[in-house]
Amino acid sequence: MTDSNGRRPAISRRDLLRTAGAAGAAALVPGAVAAATEVTPATASPEVAGQGPVGSALPAETAPFVARALTNLTAREAEILSAMVDRLIPSDEMGPGALDAGVLRYIDRALSEAESDAADAYRAGLAALDTYSRYTRGGPFIDLSTVDQDSVLIDVQIGAATGAGVGFVGGSGSFFNMVKSHTWQGMFGDPEYGGNVNFAGWDLLDYPGVRLGVSPQDQRDLEAGQLEPVRRSAYDYGMFE
Amino acid sequence: MKVSLPVAMGAALLLTGSAVTGLRGQAPMTFIVESPTMTTGRFMPRDYSPDGRNLSPPLTWSGLPAGTRQLAVISQDYGAGRPPPWVHWIIYNIPGDAGGLPEGIPFDPDHPMPPEIAGAVQGNNGWGLPAYRGPAPPLGSVHHYHFAVFALDEELDLPPGLDRRELLLAIEGHVIGQGDMVPLYERQPMNQFPR
Repeated sequence: MTDSNGRRPAISRRDLLRTAGAAGAAALVPGAVAAATEVTPATASPEVAGQGPVGSALPAETAPFVARALTNLTAREAEILSAMVDRLIPSDEMGPGALDAGVLRYIDRALSEAESDAADAYRAGLAALDTYSRYTRGGPFIDLSTVDQDSVLIDVQIGAATGAGVGFVGGSGSFFNMVKSHTWQGMFGDPEYGGNVNFAGWDLLDYPGVRLGVSPQDQRDLEAGQLEPVRRSAYDYGMFE
Repeated sequence: MKVSLPVAMGAALLLTGSAVTGLRGQAPMTFIVESPTMTTGRFMPRDYSPDGRNLSPPLTWSGLPAGTRQLAVISQDYGAGRPPPWVHWIIYNIPGDAGGLPEGIPFDPDHPMPPEIAGAVQGNNGWGLPAYRGPAPPLGSVHHYHFAVFALDEELDLPPGLDRRELLLAIEGHVIGQGDMVPLYERQPMNQFPR
């Protein structure tokens, strides 16, 4: 699995699955993000819209999801965050990555709802990520090669991007872990919360889906790898209304 | 802060010895380890730290003992870690005929090594990453970074991802030569760097 530069991402899908698979998708579903908020359908800024279907592995009907306007992140912040989550879970031959799965929209929406306390941390962290990239790699984060982006993210992850004047609040590692956690949530959580578009995350994990019951035949099919996955939001069952 | 070369060299000799206390048998002979871009007792370039591109630095060695079949390198800081040292880099399975390491060894374990060190693999550093990550000492403090090179008498074919303790155990009894160099690093506030 390589990108257009012939490089393999530092945090590969395989690595991701080692981390997330054991916990299971259900454990990653955020419990408190309200489901009722409407996101106004509108055309996003060119910068934000540009993170969408170009080279996407998604079917055409996904486009409206990624083209909707963001409500919290500025266009510049959205560009930087898009580049970051795209390195955390890139699209590849195994399927859509974080961007195509709507993680950007998930995070933007969460910053109005259950994660509203994190809005300032995102604002400061994304600016600091860009400042750090300019100081150390000679350019804004979005313009770096994927290799340099990965290198920057490793430094941010291990807390080494902490020089005075950069601006990470509470250490760069805290910012990285926050974004990673929200990326995982947006990728593998219930689509009701705005991410996991077309169940891309559940497909990646081979998650059988939300079921109200499992018959003996279902169990046999599951063990044989022949169980047809259910691709419905838990909210489609009506029990959460 | 300036550090006198004799002091740095003395510290280097003292601390390098402790890097191989786990090894048994005859004392290994010493050989020369240098770098085209770093010097023992002097500050290393910023690009070998997270203040720059965080590339692994180039190393060269000469005067290897006869019978060297393979090499291993550990980069470590005895002024950090609980307990010390803090490990910045581990690379081993380096072919015995390699004259050194080029700059910028891939941090992605699936990316091929440069052909001159084909077969080399990286171990886990102090962050648990199989990659080079450079010095990031607290602002205002000068740290010494030991690049210890071990000449081995056998091609060990060790698996990737060994940590320092595991590597030292694995090469125990096979070290026939050792050398190192000890450049320094001190972080500067990033707002003093040119953008």
